[in-house]
Amino acid sequence: MKVLFVTPRYGPEVMGGAESAARLLAEHLALDVRFEVAAYSTCALDDRTWANELPAGDSVMNGVALSRFEVPATRQPSFFTLDKQLRRAPRQVSLAQSQRWLELNGPHVPRLVSAAADGDADVAVFSPYLFWPTVAGIQAAPMPTVLHPAAHDEPPLYFPAIGDAFVATEALCYYTAAERRVVQARYRVAEKPQIVLGIGVDDPTEGGRAGRDILGLGERPYLVSLGRVDDQKGSAMLDAFFRRYKQRRPGPLALALVGPVASTIEPHPDVVVTGAVDEPTKWDLLRDAMAAVSPSALESFSIVIMEAWEQSLPVVVNALCEPTRDHCLRSGGGLWFGSYRQFEVVVDRLWADADLRRRLGANGKAYVDEHYRWPALTARYARFLELVVERGPAAAI
Amino acid sequence: MSGGVPDAVPEVRAGAHDVEERHDYLTRVLGEIDQEVVRRRSSGDLPRRVERELDAMFLRYSPMGGDDGTLDEVLDLVESSSFIDPVVPIASSRPGGGVAKRTIRRGGLWYMGWVTHQVSEFASATSRALRVLDDRVRALRTELDAQRVPAAPVIETPWAHRPDAWWVDRALESLAGQRGRVLHAAAGDGWLVRRLRAEGLDAYGVEPRADRVVATEPEGLDLREEPLLGHLRAIAPGGLGGIVLSGVVDAMTAAERDVVVVLAAQTVAPSGHLIIHSLSPKGWASDEAPVEADLASGRPLRPRTWALVFGRLGFEVGVIEGPTSDDYLVVAVSGGGGEGRAGAG
Repeated sequence: MKVLFVTPRYGPEVMGGAESAARLLAEHLALDVRFEVAAYSTCALDDRTWANELPAGDSVMNGVALSRFEVPATRQPSFFTLDKQLRRAPRQVSLAQSQRWLELNGPHVPRLVSAAADGDADVAVFSPYLFWPTVAGIQAAPMPTVLHPAAHDEPPLYFPAIGDAFVATEALCYYTAAERRVVQARYRVAEKPQIVLGIGVDDPTEGGRAGRDILGLGERPYLVSLGRVDDQKGSAMLDAFFRRYKQRRPGPLALALVGPVASTIEPHPDVVVTGAVDEPTKWDLLRDAMAAVSPSALESFSIVIMEAWEQSLPVVVNALCEPTRDHCLRSGGGLWFGSYRQFEVVVDRLWADADLRRRLGANGKAYVDEHYRWPALTARYARFLELVVERGPAAAI
Repeated sequence: MSGGVPDAVPEVRAGAHDVEERHDYLTRVLGEIDQEVVRRRSSGDLPRRVERELDAMFLRYSPMGGDDGTLDEVLDLVESSSFIDPVVPIASSRPGGGVAKRTIRRGGLWYMGWVTHQVSEFASATSRALRVLDDRVRALRTELDAQRVPAAPVIETPWAHRPDAWWVDRALESLAGQRGRVLHAAAGDGWLVRRLRAEGLDAYGVEPRADRVVATEPEGLDLREEPLLGHLRAIAPGGLGGIVLSGVVDAMTAAERDVVVVLAAQTVAPSGHLIIHSLSPKGWASDEAPVEADLASGRPLRPRTWALVFGRLGFEVGVIEGPTSDDYLVVAVSGGGGEGRAGAG
C-alpha cells in the first residue's frame, strides 16, 4: 500500500496542530505497519508568511519519503484585509470571494498539487482543511482521498470554496466525535466512509531534570501551557487571567508558557515563557507541573492534553472548545473555564484539593490508555485506508 | 499560599474509577465550582470593568456557534459588557503622558459621559431583552420537559435481529446489485453490515445506543455511534443506494416516524431501496416482545399503512409478512425526486 500525505508544512519544527499529527501518523504507518509512505509539503515553516526556510527536494525522514516544494510567493498582505472582511459574516461569503481567500491563504504551490495527482499513491491523505493544497489537491487527485479536516467551528468552515474539499473527498478522518458533529452540522457528508481516530501518545522520553529547575522557579509550583504561544491559541488571554489571578492570590504559583512564541508576552515575575523546547524538556516540564492548561477555543483534538494525562496531570480547558471539553467530560480528567471568574475558582480548587488533582490525573491517564495508544491506533487507521482503497474513487450512484 | 503544592500527590494507577463514577465525581465538582462562581460574582469583589475586559479577551477567539451549555455564560458576558465606562484610563509609560491624558479626559468627560450614557442605556436594554428571552425559553423548556415524549428506543428482538432471521435473505435479494452505500440502523455490533458486505454491498452502520458499537475497523466495518436522525440530516440528498432500518421505527410516535420517513426518502437515490423490518401489532402485543414495547410512546404500524405512506412519496412498495405474522418487511423502491418531498402523513 502506497500512502501519500499532503500538508502545507512538514517536520518536527512544526509543533502541535494538524500538520504535526499528520506527520506522526505518516511515520507510524511506515514504522508500525510497513506501508510505503510519502509526504509532499513545502519548504515553509511559518504559516503567516510561507517563506521558504527549508531546502527543496527529496529526502527520507523517519521512514517517510519526503518531497518539499518551494512556495513561489510569500503571503500577500492583501490576504489579511480580505480575511478580516470575510470573517465578519462568513455565511454571506460568495464562492468567488472564498476562492480568492483560499488562493491568498495558500500556500499556492501548483507543482505540489500536480505532483500529487501524477503520483502512484494508492490513497492520498490531506490535512488540514483550511489551505489551498488541500482543497485543490483533493479535487485534482485521481486516486481515492482522505481528508483530515482538523475543523473547528470557525468562520472559514463556512466559506463555500472550502466545501469543495468536503464534497470531493472519498473519506474523512476525524480527531474526535465533536469534530464530526461540527463538520456534519455544516456539510452533508455523513454517508462517506469515515473514522474517528485521534492521535496516539508516545511514551515519555524524559530528560531527568526537575521542571522547576528548567524554569528557574526554585521550589515554586507551576501551571504549564504547552503549544504555540499565540493570541489565537488563547495564550494572551491565559496570561492576562493568570496575572489578574496573582494580583488577587499572591503566592508561589507560577505559569509556564511552553512552545514557539508567535505573540508578545510582557515580562512578569510569575510567568515564564520558554520558547520551543525539545521532547525530553517538554516531558520534564509536564511531569512536575501542578496542572496543564489548554486555553485555546479552537482545537480539533489537542495532543498536549493527552500528553498531560500521560503524566497523570489534571488539565484545565477552554469551555467553548467542544473537543477538549468533550475529552474532559468523557475521561473525567479535567475541568474547564468560560470566564475569568471560573478560571479563578478552578485554579483555587486545584490548588487546594490534592485529591481532586490525583483523581483527575488518574482518570485522564486511563482515558489515554484506553483510546490513544499508537500501535492500536495505527492498525485501525491502516485498515481504514485499505477500505478506502478497496472502494476506489467515488462514483455517482 | 506557601511554597510547594499542598499535599504531595500519591501515584495512582489508571482504572481506579469506572466511567459512571468518574462522571458523577466530575459533575459534582463542576457543580461546586459553578456555585462558587455565582457566590463570588454576587460579592462584587472584582471591578465590573476589569471582569468585562477579561471576559472580552476570553471571547475574542471563540467558536462561531455555541451550545445551550454556554448560553448563560454568553449572556453574562453581554450583561457585563453593557456598561461603557467614560472614564478613560490615563496610565502612560511616557513622561508627562499621564498628565496630558488626564487633561484631555477632564476636558472631554462631559461629552464622553453623555455619549456613553446613551450607549450604556441601549446596551443595557438589549441585554435585559436577551435575559427576558432567555427566561422565556427556559420556561418553555421546563414546560416541554414535562410533556416531553422520550425518543423511541431501539426494539431488539433476538429472534428477528440476527443474520439468519427470515427477512435478512429477502432484504439481501432486494438489494442485490444496488449501487451506492447502504446504511443499516440500528446496527448493533454490525451483524447485518457483515452480511451485506459479504454480498458485495458497500454497507455501513449507525447505532444510536451508547457503548453498543465495538471497534470493528480491524475487520473492515464502518460502524458509528450516532443518533439516526442526526445522521440522516447530514447525508447528501440522494447520497445512499439503500437504507435498512430494523428495530428503529417500531416504537416511534407518528411525529418521529414522519421525520425519519421524509429524511430517508430524501437520502435514497433514484431506484434506491428503503427497507424496513418491524414487529407487527400482533408481535408487539405478544409476551415475546421486549419490555421496551410496554414503555415506548409509539407502536408499530400495520404493514398496509407503510404501503400507503411510501406510496404517497412515490415509492413502489412491497410488504412481506413473517411466517408467524409477528413481524414484517417493507421494501420500498424510490421512483426518484426524493429531495423536497412533503411530510409522509
